[in-house]
Amino acid sequence: MDVSRLEGRVAIVTGAGQGVGEGIARRLAREGAVVVVAARRAETGEPVATSIRDDGGRAECIVTDVADGESVQNCVDETVRRFGRLDIMVHNAFMGGIPHKLENARIDKHWTNMSRTGVWASLFCARAAMPHLVASSKRPAGTGGGRLILITSPSGVEGSANIPLYSPAKAAQRAIAKSLAREWGPHGVTVNCIGPVAGSPALLTAFERNPALQDAIEARTPLGRVGDITEDIGSVALFLAGDDSAFVTGQTIICDGGSFLGL
Amino acid sequence: MSVLVIGDGPVADHIRATVNSDVDAAVIVTDVDGRRGVGSIETLDDATIDAVFEQPMQRVIAGLQRAHAAGAKRIVVIVPTIGMSGGDRHAVHAALAEAARITVKSAARQWGADGITVNAVALAPEEFGVDPKVSGPVAIAPRALTGAVDPANAVTWLCSDAAAHVTGQTVVCDGGLWM
Repeated sequence: MDVSRLEGRVAIVTGAGQGVGEGIARRLAREGAVVVVAARRAETGEPVATSIRDDGGRAECIVTDVADGESVQNCVDETVRRFGRLDIMVHNAFMGGIPHKLENARIDKHWTNMSRTGVWASLFCARAAMPHLVASSKRPAGTGGGRLILITSPSGVEGSANIPLYSPAKAAQRAIAKSLAREWGPHGVTVNCIGPVAGSPALLTAFERNPALQDAIEARTPLGRVGDITEDIGSVALFLAGDDSAFVTGQTIICDGGSFLGL
Repeated sequence: MSVLVIGDGPVADHIRATVNSDVDAAVIVTDVDGRRGVGSIETLDDATIDAVFEQPMQRVIAGLQRAHAAGAKRIVVIVPTIGMSGGDRHAVHAALAEAARITVKSAARQWGADGITVNAVALAPEEFGVDPKVSGPVAIAPRALTGAVDPANAVTWLCSDAAAHVTGQTVVCDGGLWM
């Protein structure tokens, strides 16, 4: 904990009980932010928060179901009650992604979870966090700055042959970010997206089952590897969360080692 | 041969009246309506998200499935450019527009092997009742082309054999407003 670019800031990271969310939570905490690990299950969120504290950071778990607007509001209210402010809202949690044929896709099985946890939840997070992010941006330079970061996917730009309805859920998040960047710009709040390809538990499990998949992904990636959730993805989140990105808004940073170059 | 047009409103009516194709084709007009659900994120409620995003998006999915079931070889989805540009106080409209536009790419990837093309045509926000000013500087800049914009020719071309190798694309048909 020898660097503190986010000292004094308070961040919520949804879906931080594992994977990309965990990596972002760890990276922000390493830079001095107080991090709320917002996880659907305490069994995953509490160990991450404990581990961050063991490493010298400040973190607490608040059990949150991002598909439920009241639960998201409660997470934000409880964060502000405990820590007095909220500067950074990272919405990463996402559920769904079952491979399907579009012509046979069922709304209840192949769409609803992704819509609720991707699109609706992005709006819930934005709605609940907004007044606190605006307040953060009114603080003296170097001591605040409201940030909303939505975790999308390269598939939200290029579509997906395997999980076709995953893409619109992720695309909608990018459109929300652009819209809120316009809406909140006058308040000094920035809104951006990250499109990661990283070694989440789900991807690593898929690699174990199908080593050829890992070979294929690495072969198509100019940097030749899958991203690390903390050092690669978390560091991009750190940039977007901190003062260095104060003039960046409405953008998507694809963080996938150069696999997708279509922006 | 007539084209299956799925959707309501003036854009759908115009396409229905003007577009024909020698190929089995379908056109889906995304149900973006700028008159409803406009406002700050602070006042957004669940009913508005459902009415402005969720239900229209489910109709896009159902429309694509209907077009596929009908044997369409050329499918075009019409959206407003607000999904690409974003819109001040129109986050939910923009979410719908972009979700629909990117679903086109997924469909193109899945159905291409069957010789089905799927593309999008993006129109200016006002065609859907959305104030173009919400898209900010993009809309304040003058159009590159003057005069009325008629998307029918672009849709007709995408529905034809001439566009047999064009798929997963978005043709922006707004006179050069959004670039």
